[in-house]
Amino acid sequence: MDTHNIRLRVWDLPTRLFHWLLVASFITAFVTSESEKLRDIHVVAGYTLAGLLVFRLVWGFVGSGYSRFAQFLPTPQKLVDYLKSLMEGRPQHYVGHNPAGAVAIFLLLGCGLVASLSGWATYEDLGGHFMEELHEGAANGMMAIVVIHVAGVVVSSWLHQENLVLAMITGWKKAKGTKFQ
Amino acid sequence: MRHILIIATLLGATGALAETPRDFLARFEKEAGASASVARGASFFTARQGGEWSCASCHTERPTQPGRHAKTDKAIQPLAPAANGERFTNVAKVDKWFRRNCNDTLNRLCSAQEKADVMAWLLSLK
Repeated sequence: MDTHNIRLRVWDLPTRLFHWLLVASFITAFVTSESEKLRDIHVVAGYTLAGLLVFRLVWGFVGSGYSRFAQFLPTPQKLVDYLKSLMEGRPQHYVGHNPAGAVAIFLLLGCGLVASLSGWATYEDLGGHFMEELHEGAANGMMAIVVIHVAGVVVSSWLHQENLVLAMITGWKKAKGTKFQ
Repeated sequence: MRHILIIATLLGATGALAETPRDFLARFEKEAGASASVARGASFFTARQGGEWSCASCHTERPTQPGRHAKTDKAIQPLAPAANGERFTNVAKVDKWFRRNCNDTLNRLCSAQEKADVMAWLLSLK
């Protein structure tokens, strides 16, 4: 089989900017969460994160190829097939998001929206203790997904011998023996 | 019958989680191994402890009154139990806010003795 490098444009610029700005705003919000002195920074980071998520929801419908939700919508069948292929040590290769990654992305978007809305409500003194708990739960949920996501990127980069972090910076991936989907 | 027992046990467990402000005073005194001082609590609360803020920066020197967030200017409900029945009734909440607010005002955690003193002073306010 011809496995010469074909360079593929996978992540468009808005998707990449969104990704790294989301990283920055989430880390900023997370590390300032415990301090009242840094509360204003936390709130600005939270609004930024919410704005980024709203952009991503729109971009999921109008963005280019691999950034569209329809392109990586994980069906239970796709997810089971993918996880099976992982366990058999012959992981299916996806150019865009693999089904497990796609599940993580939707969970991350969901948790992020819950964290943003409950954070806003807490800041405006609406919803009381419940909102505060929901806010912290959603944010911790996001952090858990981020940890799994980063682990997945490391494992996946190693299994498929491709630098996924670099791909999220440059937008390009090398395609070899790739299943185009 | 079994269901009633289960429900009663659950209610009992929830009841056990609810604390009173006096329970916290007792707990901190026990942890400190010494009794609390109202006077020490008052000066600890109102004076700066090396940091930029004191407790009173947000909670005022008279915490039976509402306070104001020193950074965001948001209203803060009174801290003294006499003025606000919701204060010091939940272990997780009390531990969380002592941890956060001590770090903001002292750049370290509060000792059990400091918390006991503050509790004693807050309980003395009418």
